Amino acid sequence: MMDLRLWGCALLFPLQILLCVLKAAVRFLLPPRRKDLGTDVVLITGGGRGIGRHLAKEFAKQGARKVILWGRTEKCLRETCEEITMTGTECHYFVCDVGNREEVYQQAKVVREKVGDVTILVNNAAVVHGKSLMNSDDDALLKTQHINALGQFWTTKAFLPRMLELCHGHVVCINSILSLSSIPGAIDYCTSKASAYAFMESLTLGLLDCPGVDCTTILPFHTDTEMFQGMRVRFPQLFPPLNPEMVAQRTVDAVRTNTAFVVLPWTMHFLVALKSLLPQCALEEIHKFAGSYTCMNTFKGRT
Amino acid sequence: MYIVVELLVVSVKVIWSFVLAGAKWLVKPREKSVEGQVCVITGAGSGLGRLFATEFARRRATLVLWDINREANEETAEMVRDIYRGMVPSKGPGDGVQDLPLFQPQVYTYVCDVSRRESVYSTAEKVRREVGNVTLLINNAGVVSGHHLLECPDELIERTMMVNCHAHFWTTKAFLPKMLEVNEGHIVTVASSLGLFTTAGVEDYCASKFGAIGFHESLSHELKAANKDGIKMTLVCPFLVDTGMFKGCRIRKEIAPFFPPLKPEYCVEQAMRAILTDQPMVCTPRAMYVVSFMKTVLPFDAIVCMYRFIGADKCMYPFLAHRKESTNNNESKSGI
Repeated sequence: MMDLRLWGCALLFPLQILLCVLKAAVRFLLPPRRKDLGTDVVLITGGGRGIGRHLAKEFAKQGARKVILWGRTEKCLRETCEEITMTGTECHYFVCDVGNREEVYQQAKVVREKVGDVTILVNNAAVVHGKSLMNSDDDALLKTQHINALGQFWTTKAFLPRMLELCHGHVVCINSILSLSSIPGAIDYCTSKASAYAFMESLTLGLLDCPGVDCTTILPFHTDTEMFQGMRVRFPQLFPPLNPEMVAQRTVDAVRTNTAFVVLPWTMHFLVALKSLLPQCALEEIHKFAGSYTCMNTFKGRT
Repeated sequence: MYIVVELLVVSVKVIWSFVLAGAKWLVKPREKSVEGQVCVITGAGSGLGRLFATEFARRRATLVLWDINREANEETAEMVRDIYRGMVPSKGPGDGVQDLPLFQPQVYTYVCDVSRRESVYSTAEKVRREVGNVTLLINNAGVVSGHHLLECPDELIERTMMVNCHAHFWTTKAFLPKMLEVNEGHIVTVASSLGLFTTAGVEDYCASKFGAIGFHESLSHELKAANKDGIKMTLVCPFLVDTGMFKGCRIRKEIAPFFPPLKPEYCVEQAMRAILTDQPMVCTPRAMYVVSFMKTVLPFDAIVCMYRFIGADKCMYPFLAHRKESTNNNESKSGI
């Protein structure tokens, strides 16, 4: 009897896979259903500038009820907050360093009391040190891990329980393609983004059983913001840096359609697939040719 | 014009690398000798670390064992000494000159908490002074919190990240400079299949293992970019190993006979073969390569389907339940 069940499952399995692939193809071709954000309170870490700022504007534009910004630089937060308030959406900001666990929990409490329950958490805050391992400062290496990876643990622990209680919520992570395909010269960033990616994938799998609470992870290629200033790809005509507004639009879109993982641009899927197929030395040659080995040489970052 | 020529050269190199990989698969390359080389193994007190120690001992390497648990570390050292005692002293790694003193490898033990940067640096300094230059680094130490995310004490989450991932920064920074100087060395990262794909419930462990792999890959590229081809790197990704660390973890019972928990000896045997033939990566069992590739081409729904078919999406839930029970009974948590 057991054998029969196993054989049944084994036969059904490739069919199930085929069905999933077809479903994905259909979803790609047909206009998908978009959930309404009218009751949602969105919290964006690192919301003062870069992709975070564009995300805040996009969420406001697409109808979020309230937008909350967290960041370390009050000036940027205040400016972005004013911009959003002028568009008619209620916006608040709080200074909070997501790398500091106690601060996260404290500010989360303040947010709950002053603004309300957060239903969409966007883990966007990130830093990059951008040096080779031996040239990296130990404290800077750790800081990147704390903000980019551990910070997500703290913010999720702070806001997820209430989302589960309400059976309504969404955890979003602005990750990077560098989590799946590393380059030299940004070892702190690649390590931390890989950790953050695994956290999200594990969380996504765990939350499949929780109706109403979803996850989205966005993996963009090099985006044209201050953070990676100076980084230069070898063939910018083939792989131009992404527009942060576009990344924000695709993120909000993915949230509204409950899409779990989005790679931007989609051509990066080939890179990741190639990585699993090619022998290491072949991969290294391709990276060298594409200029990944030298792209961080001109890195200036945020001064 | 030059771009086209370069593209052609790259294409030829890519094809050639496939040919080489195929050749290596058909005719296994000879294992390199590690006789007399100084090998540091973190987490040598138990599990895979202990087995790596005995394997390297059999190959006459000088062993430097690091562990936070002094007793367990000394036990491993005793096992290594037994192996050394059973060996005939050799002429050592020389060029066969007749009047070299006979070489007898030795084992050194140090108590070190790899999650603490200062501990790693000071122990590394002691190793350099008392033993010599390290050319083999096995980053093996690993822990898991064993709690669901929302129930997990924050200190345990931090500890998992610090031991499994951040420790690699410090150990590598401690020993890499000398390796770079002589352009010789081998760094081994003992990650896990949970560094290639994840499962629900062990977010901290998966995050730390993915991070370790991200670090390993980024460092490999850095070394290649700096043309330091004498320094090799090997990534070891075992599936569930039967060391007691993940006691209770269960995949779907119908599939379980096909993917039983690995015998640690088998796992280390495969890893040693990869390390000694300078293979960049080894997954045990080989089916992990397939799963890892499927993950990159299938849409997420299909991946979930695949995980559910194997029972891998929630395989850690029984482990977490088992841990919760044993904590409530105040049993000692050994082998973690």
